[in-house]
Amino acid sequence: MIIEMNHISKTFGTLEVLKDISFGVDSGEVVSVIGPSGSGKSTLLRCATFLEKISGGEILYMGERAAHTDESGKVNYVRFQELTRFRSYCGLVFQQFNLFPHYSVLKNLVDAPIHVQHRSKDEAEETAMELLRKMGIEDKANAYPYQLSGGQQQRVAIARALTMKPAILFFDEPTSALDPELTGEVLKVIRQLAEEKMTMVVVTHEMPFAKAVSNRVIFMAKGVIVEQGSPAAVFDDPKEERTKQFLRVFER
Amino acid sequence: MDFSTMLSTMASGMLKTFGIFALTLIGSLPLGMLVALLRKSRFAPVRALIGAYIAVIRGTPLMLQLLVWYFGPFYLLGWSIRGWRFPALILGFIVNYAAYFAEIYRGGIESIPVGQYEAAEVLGYRKGQAFIRIILPQVIKRIMPSVTNEVITLVKDTSLAFTLAYQEVFSLAKQISASQTSFTPFIIAGVFYFIANYAVAFAMQRIEKALNYYK
Repeated sequence: MIIEMNHISKTFGTLEVLKDISFGVDSGEVVSVIGPSGSGKSTLLRCATFLEKISGGEILYMGERAAHTDESGKVNYVRFQELTRFRSYCGLVFQQFNLFPHYSVLKNLVDAPIHVQHRSKDEAEETAMELLRKMGIEDKANAYPYQLSGGQQQRVAIARALTMKPAILFFDEPTSALDPELTGEVLKVIRQLAEEKMTMVVVTHEMPFAKAVSNRVIFMAKGVIVEQGSPAAVFDDPKEERTKQFLRVFER
Repeated sequence: MDFSTMLSTMASGMLKTFGIFALTLIGSLPLGMLVALLRKSRFAPVRALIGAYIAVIRGTPLMLQLLVWYFGPFYLLGWSIRGWRFPALILGFIVNYAAYFAEIYRGGIESIPVGQYEAAEVLGYRKGQAFIRIILPQVIKRIMPSVTNEVITLVKDTSLAFTLAYQEVFSLAKQISASQTSFTPFIIAGVFYFIANYAVAFAMQRIEKALNYYK
C-alpha cells in the first residue's frame, strides 16, 4: 500500500465533513472518487496531502504512520522534519492549477526540486524538460503561466507535481475549471500516466473518464464511502440506492 | 544675497533633505515588513501591541510625533537631549513610515490567493521559504502603486523636519526668505521638491515596468 487512511474523521467546527472513512491505494492503482459536491471528496484529498489535519483516525504512507489518534482521542502527527518526508511521497494537482505566476514554466517545475529536494539544477531541468515533452508543451518552457491556455496550465501543474517524483499523485477535480474543449487534453495526459502505472487518486465529475481509466471507483456522499468497486460494478451495477440516484443524473 | 549664493546655501539643505528621505526608506521599508508579519502573529498580545502602534501613528500628526521623539526624553526621563535632534528626527520618520508601509504590505500579503500557499506547502517548501520565494515577489508587484504614493508623500513630509529646526531645504527657505525679504527661496524649494518627486515617479515607473513580465 502506498497510502492507507483508516477511520478518518474531519470536522470543521460542528460540521462533520468526513465520517469514519477508510481506504487504501496500492502501487500502480488508479482510483476515481466520485460523488455530489459537499460529499467530502476534496477534503479527503486535502487530508491525504496534509493540507488539512484530520480530526480522528490514522494516515500511513508506505506502511509508516504519519498521523494517528491516541487513546485520549488526540490526533498526533509526526514531527515537522518527518512530515516533510511524508509530503514528498504525495503530489497534488489543484482544480485552479495554482501555478506560480512570477516563474516561467520551467522555473515552476525546477524550483522545488532544487530548493526543497536539493537536487542539482542540471538534473532538475533535464527531468522537467522530459516531463514537458511528455505533456506536449516543451515549446512553452520559457513562457509564463498567464500566456498559456487553461489546459496547458493544468498540464504544467501536473508536470510540476511529477518533477517531485511522488509515489502517488492526487487530482482534485483537475478539469472542473476548464472549458469543455480543453478537458480532453488534460484527461489524455492523466490516461497516459495511468498506462505507465503511475499511482493516482482522481476526484472527478468526468464519468466516462473515470470508467475508462480507473481500476477502482469510490462513490462518496455526505462524508462516507457509500460504495466502491471496479468501474463496471459501480457504474453498471450499483448496489446502493444513493449511488443509482447519483449516476442517473449523468445518464441524461 | 544674489541668486547663486541663495542656491548654494540651500544646496546643503537639499543634501540634508535627501539624507532624511534615504535613511527613512532604508529603515522603514524593512521595518514595515516586520510590523506587517508581527501583526499576523500567533500571539494575541503581539497582535494587539502592533495594532495599537499603528493606530497611534496613524491617529496623530507626524509633526507632533517628531516633537515627542525630540523632547520626550527630556520631559519624561530628564535626559539631556544634546545631539539628539537628528536621531530623534530619523527615528520619528522611520517609526511613522514603517506603520504605513506595514499596512500596505499587509494588504498585499492578504491579496495573494490561498492556493499559492497551498501549492507551495504541497511541494514541501518551508513556511519562510514559501514566503520569500513565492509570496513576497508577487506582493511587491501588487503594492508598487501604493508604495510610490507613500514615497512621494515622504519627499514632501521631510519638510516637517523644520519643527525640530533641522536645516533641511524647507527650514532654510523660510530662514533665508525672512532674512532677505525675498520670495525666491520658496520658489527654489518648490522646484526642488517637484524635481525630486518627478525623479521618484520616474524610478518607480521603471521598477513597475520591470515587474510587468508576468500578470
